[in-house]
Amino acid sequence: MTYELRPHTADVAVAATGADLGETFAAVADGLAAATCDDIPETGERFSLSVRAEGLEALLFDYLDRLIYERDVRGVLPVANEATVREDDGEWVVEASARGVPFADVTARDVKAVTYSEMRIEEREKPRSPGDGESGLSRATGEAGADRTEPGDGRPEADDGGWEAYVVLDV
Amino acid sequence: MTTREFDGIQLERVREFVWEIPREGDMRVPARVLASEALLEEIGEDRTLQQLKNAAHLPGIAGHAICMPDGHQGYGFPVGGVGATDTETGCISPGSVGYDINCGVRMMKTNLVYDDIRGHEEELVEALFANVPSGLGGGGVVDGDRATVEAVLERGVDWALEAGWAVEDDLEHCEDEGYRPDADPSAVSQKAKDRGKNQLGSLGSGNHFLEVQRVTDVYRDDVADAYGLEPDQVVVLIHCGSRGLGHQTCTDYLRKIEKRHGDLLAQLPDKELAAAPAGSELADQYYGAMCACINFAWVNRQVIMHRVRQVFERVFDRSWESMEMQLLYDVAHNIAKKEVHRVDGEERELYVHRKGATRAFPAGHPEVPAAYRDVGQPIIIPGSMGAGSYVLRGGEASMDLTFGSTAHGAGRLMSRTQAKNEFWGETVQDELREGDHVYVKAQSGATVAEEAPGVYKDVDEVVRVSDALGIGDRVARTYPVCNIKG
Repeated sequence: MTYELRPHTADVAVAATGADLGETFAAVADGLAAATCDDIPETGERFSLSVRAEGLEALLFDYLDRLIYERDVRGVLPVANEATVREDDGEWVVEASARGVPFADVTARDVKAVTYSEMRIEEREKPRSPGDGESGLSRATGEAGADRTEPGDGRPEADDGGWEAYVVLDV
Repeated sequence: MTTREFDGIQLERVREFVWEIPREGDMRVPARVLASEALLEEIGEDRTLQQLKNAAHLPGIAGHAICMPDGHQGYGFPVGGVGATDTETGCISPGSVGYDINCGVRMMKTNLVYDDIRGHEEELVEALFANVPSGLGGGGVVDGDRATVEAVLERGVDWALEAGWAVEDDLEHCEDEGYRPDADPSAVSQKAKDRGKNQLGSLGSGNHFLEVQRVTDVYRDDVADAYGLEPDQVVVLIHCGSRGLGHQTCTDYLRKIEKRHGDLLAQLPDKELAAAPAGSELADQYYGAMCACINFAWVNRQVIMHRVRQVFERVFDRSWESMEMQLLYDVAHNIAKKEVHRVDGEERELYVHRKGATRAFPAGHPEVPAAYRDVGQPIIIPGSMGAGSYVLRGGEASMDLTFGSTAHGAGRLMSRTQAKNEFWGETVQDELREGDHVYVKAQSGATVAEEAPGVYKDVDEVVRVSDALGIGDRVARTYPVCNIKG
């Protein structure tokens, strides 16, 4: 899983990739953390959350919104995100966890909100690996560390199939 | 006819500083950009013009979708955008107000002059930074609970008056006296209230800041007299909004409207423009919730302003009353208000969406506070840390050209990611202090880099266009002395 912070005149955009939807969602969430804080320490306890929505874009929107809410209410920065995404009875569900770094341990900027503006979630051209099921059930391990790269003009560097997402954050 | 084209979008010059994108496709009205040639070049560089065209698709939009001289790309609706939609046949669009509901600016006057604070800058900037929460997780000046949040949402600055964070004079010099009677706290979600209760009296981060400034120029003596501004005077500018409470409210209603009014959404070119039809339950609920958030933001700025008075008392060892620390005015940047405007000879009630735009009502308008009705509403245009800010007054042409609106700032030119590549925060701070005698303190160097003077458009040019069009007339200019940011 990778993410890049992309230029946007007023705000910040995150472009992310993952082998599956869960990895991709978690990579966007790690991008959200990176837009908030440059140096992330190894402190904090993990917490879990679950979000359900009517579609994939709505699910990504609500997932990131929930992380921002948890950030403000718990007083922690959610990092090292892990997520699984599945379809359930016509809706989409993300089961996720994050490590909540106490605000006291970081110097962080406020990201106000997630936006739908220019949002994309797309399956990349190369077929997904045989291990991935048809349901989209997947698992990502955020602790492995995301690869933060400098802004580029093209798509994220890795191009080995899987999923990609693009989200503009209001800062 | 002079025309310009940017990425296939053609603009026709209507007259000096007025450019029009003709109606095409499903646009309901033409779009207009108010800009000089130089500003238009910058506006044309990103997706601002496409976003403006998209805004012209909103149902019931009247006249034109309009981009102010400081316009730039945002999400959905461009920043610097004005769109007025009919309150009976149109719609209201949370994304076209923005997440930071009633993000705005207020200016407080003092009777101090620059010489009074020279030599105290370091102490002042440290004291302000220590006493006004900023950044993420810094808490608020007020340790709010559920009852406090409810009262603030319901009553606006009147709550601050009762709680000892305001005086009567503050209410008289704030738009709507710091209170929106249409506020409906029950329409604000518990999630939003949870986020807001620890943030009352906090700047946040991004482009929000608190600045001690000195007046450097006065352009209209009679109006400056009415505003109580004179050269060398020290003033304080506060820029922030409704914090997490407002952000969550916009998010909540964007999603509710998406789910319930998908048919209308399908007609719009950008999901972020999602709108509730006028007269619908969600339109009324959102308007009530937004007005409650407006109250919250006014109180947020009021509490910060009163805390600044206390900081000045400590630093200068005098009462704030003896320093005549009085509110000049408070203007909202992200807001939709029901206002009556004349469109094609007919008076209509409209939701005037101003996203990164400032109300600019001229002299004589009944909604201008009595204190300023003879000269026009004060408008505060914050510039960058290196360029200074302006005070304007509502211009005579604003009602005809812009639904009573003008610019809200310098307008960003460069992305935050690029800014961090091009500027180093500590260097920017050193240069401002050594070269310009501007003392900056921020939560991180990255924030200073992202807000470096070089990332903004030329505020002088923005104000020149506003003044020349007669939508907001120059009154005075200020220059920073101390700046704190999140």
